[in-house]
Amino acid sequence: MKSREQEYKEIFIAEALEYFDALNRLISELEKRPQDDKVLAEIFRMLHNLKANAKAIGYLQISDVSHKLETAFGLIRNKELSFSDEVVGVLFDGIDLLGELIKNIDSEQQIEPDPILIRNLDIIVDSLSDSTVELAKVQKFSSSRNLTLSDLIYIQVKKLDHLMNLVGELIIDRDRILSLSRELDNDELKMVSSHLYRITEDLQYSVMDARLVSIGTLFNKFPRVVRDIATAEKKEVDLELSGQDIQIDRNILQIMTDSLLHLVRNAITHGLEKPEQRSKAGKPKVGQLELSARSDRESVVISLTDDGKGIDLNQVRKAAVAQQLVPADVADGLPDTEVFSFLFEPGFSLAKEVTEYSGRGVGLDVVKNAIDSIGGRIRIDSKKGKGTTFTLQLPTSIAVKGALLFEIDSIFYAIPLIHTDLVVALDKDELHEVGDVLVADIKGETVTVVYLDELLNIPESAMRLGDKTKLKGQVQNIIIVSYNNRKLGLIVDKLYRQQDIVVKPLSKPLDSIDIYGGVTLLGTGKVCLVLDVPAITKYFISRR
Amino acid sequence: MKRILIVDDSFYMRTMLKNMLTDAGYEVVGEAPNGQTALELAKETTPDLITLDVILPDNTGLDVLKGIKAEQPDMKVIIVSAVGQEVIVNEALEYGALSYIVKPFSEEKVLEVVKKALDE
Repeated sequence: MKSREQEYKEIFIAEALEYFDALNRLISELEKRPQDDKVLAEIFRMLHNLKANAKAIGYLQISDVSHKLETAFGLIRNKELSFSDEVVGVLFDGIDLLGELIKNIDSEQQIEPDPILIRNLDIIVDSLSDSTVELAKVQKFSSSRNLTLSDLIYIQVKKLDHLMNLVGELIIDRDRILSLSRELDNDELKMVSSHLYRITEDLQYSVMDARLVSIGTLFNKFPRVVRDIATAEKKEVDLELSGQDIQIDRNILQIMTDSLLHLVRNAITHGLEKPEQRSKAGKPKVGQLELSARSDRESVVISLTDDGKGIDLNQVRKAAVAQQLVPADVADGLPDTEVFSFLFEPGFSLAKEVTEYSGRGVGLDVVKNAIDSIGGRIRIDSKKGKGTTFTLQLPTSIAVKGALLFEIDSIFYAIPLIHTDLVVALDKDELHEVGDVLVADIKGETVTVVYLDELLNIPESAMRLGDKTKLKGQVQNIIIVSYNNRKLGLIVDKLYRQQDIVVKPLSKPLDSIDIYGGVTLLGTGKVCLVLDVPAITKYFISRR
Repeated sequence: MKRILIVDDSFYMRTMLKNMLTDAGYEVVGEAPNGQTALELAKETTPDLITLDVILPDNTGLDVLKGIKAEQPDMKVIIVSAVGQEVIVNEALEYGALSYIVKPFSEEKVLEVVKKALDE
């Protein structure tokens, strides 16, 4: 597995560099106190590990040089070689060479150890006694001595978070300056601000890049997890991983860790059948579980597919009716995608209905909340008897989001692109009053449409969401958003453009208003409210 | 599931051993980077088997072996050594180690020795 090799290599290098630094410290101590057995033992231990590790991973030059040095220190320990100036010099050179070899593991160019140095090492190793004749053969070897520090640094995620916040502030100011330069129509200012634009953009992507980790760091934990759960459940599962090299923001991956674990556990416990049941159903005894990741423009898509028994939509309908989430007559007519969305309702469970299909859905609301919190999406596809796929669409970055800007009643709003499906302009006549809401046929699908001005700005008692006369003008701009497998059309007054925005969370006491995910500042200096699609969908449903 | 404790001062070696063993269906109940931790974990986790590196930063592997055997005489211990440490290995076998693995080791060799020791 490629990623495990990569992991081994990274661990090897990190540990080898630690040994290298420690060796330098220890050999300097030894020079002052040549008889210190403890120091000698430490040096010996490190060279020994370095040799064994390098041999195991296949870096033969490193294991060879470590071996020579280990032998030399062994001779010193056994008092067969004295710690004389010549010897010390060669040992220092040898350790430097080790350092160079370790640091060059990742570079294309292989370094060839200087033959004089290797010969010097051989001489001291082979000089069984303190033969001055032999040692005299040690040639002057001078390497260009310079201090080098490791190319890799560890950094606290907190520091990267801070950096990302600062970049966010910078972007807001940049957009303001860009807009001012246009207002003032000053060519010089325009030039400077467009340069500033490019640099901040570059900076933004660089900081985002620094926060990326490969998804394999999480995925590679699953073979073990799957094995354990499968053993406990007495099931046979074959896990297939792909896309471990896909990069994702570290904090997003952190937030998704528990959710993925939950979904995997669900898939094995409730999705995949026991071997005998599978055989009866004409399936291979071993259940297939696929965990994959891929990049999709601005987002990372993780999907988890099992070839288990799938979700029975009729069971879900019955359970939803029983748990009073929907009236029985409505449930029958609901499209499949909307039926799946019940699985994400808090406390929703199929367990009470039919024990055989128990449990699927328990705790899925927790998964949903985690994904909502980072502005991602989740979708379920399932076929009874064939299996289930969960698809998670996650943003690559938390701080900066692509958004669609629009206006209602002269106030600016933004809506994150990850939740928008498409934008359409429809004639008023194409909207139909059905019950107390408006609906429209959008690409062959009946979608509920709501006038945002009415939903946001009219007191509940006077709110009439199904009244077409409230609409301004003949042509209506509609943003189709989608949340939890439900589509909703939002009518807005004016559509502007797509733009990367930095969402600032609302601070107290406004943070309790959940239909706004936060605010952002536009280039014009105007404050723009960022709509939270999950919250607005829930709010709309509660108003119906 | 058989439970194994790994004692090795190198993180790289521990990771490799752990992956080999867990892939093969064993449970690694602990990893000790030094003799002190090894003795504590041997007592705490009471594994079915211990893999013991002979060179450790605080004690020698031999001391750790004696310590473990003093408390748990039936504990199964496999020595992990490198070429050139035959003397220590022989001594360890005398003190009750079941067998040994020589670094660099292959996955097959490790699993073979571990399985044999556990079957005994």
